[in-house]
Amino acid sequence: MLELHNVWKVFESRYGHKEVLRGIHARFRRGQHVGILGRNGAGKSTLLRVLAGVEAPTRGYIRRSMSISWPLGGGYGIQGSLTGIANARFIARLYGMPLKQTEEFVADFSELGTYFHEPVKSYSSGMKSRLLMALSFAVDFECYLVDEALSTGDARFANKCLEVFEVRRKNAAMIMISHNASHVKRYCDTAAILRNGMLEFYEDVDEAIAAYQGL
Amino acid sequence: MIGDVPRREQMSPASAQVGVISALFIREMLTRIGRGRLGFIWLLAEPIILSSMISLLHWLSGHDLPNGLPIFLFYALSYVPFMMFRSIVNRGSHGIQANIPLLYHSRITLLDVMVARNLMEMMVCGTVIALYMAIAAIFFDEPPHQPALFALGLLLSALLANGLAMVLGAAQVVWEWVEHLVHPFTYLMLPISAAFFMLDMMPPETRELLLWNPLVHVHEMNRWAQFGDRITPYYDISYVLLWVLLLNLLGMAGLRVARPRLSMFD
Repeated sequence: MLELHNVWKVFESRYGHKEVLRGIHARFRRGQHVGILGRNGAGKSTLLRVLAGVEAPTRGYIRRSMSISWPLGGGYGIQGSLTGIANARFIARLYGMPLKQTEEFVADFSELGTYFHEPVKSYSSGMKSRLLMALSFAVDFECYLVDEALSTGDARFANKCLEVFEVRRKNAAMIMISHNASHVKRYCDTAAILRNGMLEFYEDVDEAIAAYQGL
Repeated sequence: MIGDVPRREQMSPASAQVGVISALFIREMLTRIGRGRLGFIWLLAEPIILSSMISLLHWLSGHDLPNGLPIFLFYALSYVPFMMFRSIVNRGSHGIQANIPLLYHSRITLLDVMVARNLMEMMVCGTVIALYMAIAAIFFDEPPHQPALFALGLLLSALLANGLAMVLGAAQVVWEWVEHLVHPFTYLMLPISAAFFMLDMMPPETRELLLWNPLVHVHEMNRWAQFGDRITPYYDISYVLLWVLLLNLLGMAGLRVARPRLSMFD
């Protein structure tokens, strides 16, 4: 379970306070796949960082009884100067995964071929996101936080991600943030809209999408 | 292949902590060594070149040391630990901003990053010192008097530097201008840390004044550990330990204050 109680995030800027999250209440359970829709600048990435425990909320509290992934997307958590294989080993050591098996899984899943032994900074953005997805699926988190990462790569790779996710989904939750309604429809069972720093939950994905597109 | 996704091994909190530090340590090593085959050599060559140049200059300048102390070894064995101290403080205090991307893994703390990096620094300098000691013992009949005590000295100066790096690093997050004072500070530490002279050569008033600096104690102790009773050292381990404790506690508290202030924007 991942529970947010009255979570606020306020940034100090030159022009005064900027309230990005203004009292978020939410509860995510295992096996749930939740899409969070929001316009650019609605605070989606901030919410994801707060959920991941990367940034502390200004007010309110978060209770975590699941192991939660780092925010997946935008190249977070991979090191450009290291090779793909060095990144795989780093993640394996960091999260206590068997080294050899993780290496093989990442090599296999990312389909990087010989690039697996090259520094990540030489990768194309598609290759980078394949590595990122492989790294995160290699660790059996109980909750995956996805920052529109599934949308990169071709359709075949996206299907493969879904397939692995089927294996993980029995125990795993996924929280996916996106400004793209069709991604949420494809990957999620329920949806919420982040607006004015608050989160509104909808029972039904289509209902959420209708409300989001009406904004 | 999709079926056999890796499963996590059960871990105690202690072994999880070791896992985090070792992951960071190996990452640091790979980054420093680079991609070339000779990277490992360069890791050691840099401190060796610097310290042997400095020592050579002193040797050539022709000022003799009391009791026939070997000039090159005297300077080299003082300069390498000081270099370690300086580089931990300089690198470490700038390390917070540079390592923000690592913090996306919430199980990595700022303290982990500092410890892994400084461990690396200590191992490099420890190897260089062991090399100098071995050469001195084999070719110049200058075996170390108490090498274990020297190792303790190295550890103490690494711990002092670790604490100071955390304090300065955290201070930099709160007050940006602190950044500009770190290099002048470590530069000015050299003449007052007794790396290039012995307290025994100083008038008593100056000696008392210098003994406020914990690094002076470490260097005096290291010299005695190498040269034994050919020198008269002035040091007090408990005084150094007090500073180690103080700086590290203050530094850890500082990192706690600094962490929520870091913005993770890219």
